[in-house]
Amino acid sequence: MQYAPQLYSAALRMTRSPADAEDVVQETFLKAYRAYDSYTEGTNLKAWLYRILTNTYINKYRKAQRRPSEVELGELQDLYLYKRLGEASGASQSAEADMLDEFVDTDVIEALESLPETFRFPVLLADVDGFSYKEIAEMLDIPIGTVMSRLHRGRKALQKKLWDVAQEHGITGNDHERLRSRRRVCLSVPGR
Amino acid sequence: MSGCDHAVEYVYQYLDDEISLYRKSRIRMHLRYCSNCTDAYEFEYKLKGVIRDRGRSDPPPELFDTLRALIEEEQQRDEPGT
Repeated sequence: MQYAPQLYSAALRMTRSPADAEDVVQETFLKAYRAYDSYTEGTNLKAWLYRILTNTYINKYRKAQRRPSEVELGELQDLYLYKRLGEASGASQSAEADMLDEFVDTDVIEALESLPETFRFPVLLADVDGFSYKEIAEMLDIPIGTVMSRLHRGRKALQKKLWDVAQEHGITGNDHERLRSRRRVCLSVPGR
Repeated sequence: MSGCDHAVEYVYQYLDDEISLYRKSRIRMHLRYCSNCTDAYEFEYKLKGVIRDRGRSDPPPELFDTLRALIEEEQQRDEPGT
């Protein structure tokens, strides 16, 4: 059952449905059990399992549509979120990084799941699961250069979504009272 | 390309540790005297941690039992009569 929690979480971000995520994880474990002979001892077991997971997802959910539609994200500025938060907070030192503390799990999950599949997968695999570009290229069966460009654009799109979420929830520094009450609710730990 | 442009262009590769030694040391030198880029790098580093730590969901507790049962069933199929 090693890596089951990570695989489930990744599957949930991919499918965006708890029932489908469970299905994909079950199928992944069965396939891994049956194909265990093809796993080379001493190589990265986690990467091997994730490769089965992404293949399972792609075979199951992308049959009709052989490849994900190429989505244009539009050109976004580099350091998108950093710059937006900087503008919102005025000139105070390292305020941008402090504002990141206001993002809660549901904000990050909403932003991740909003990304089109083409960009969501590389971002998930790199940022949440910490795989290398080479490992991601093997899992998604695309060249490393494509991984890099999708990551670059996907991360900028993620930052834009986080900025949208920040504005919706009033965590951009314009609405301090709301921010404080939100923080109380989210952390609900006395004294923090 | 200015030091700042270079640093911004390669920020992800730097933080992902997927960068050549040459570029890495060039960026390190730049960060030593450029507080704007240092700020931005610290922000991106922290954001990466926020996504890693807050982008996960826990599985339902039954999942482990389901997986265990699934594998046991498969094992029994492999070894009939045991």
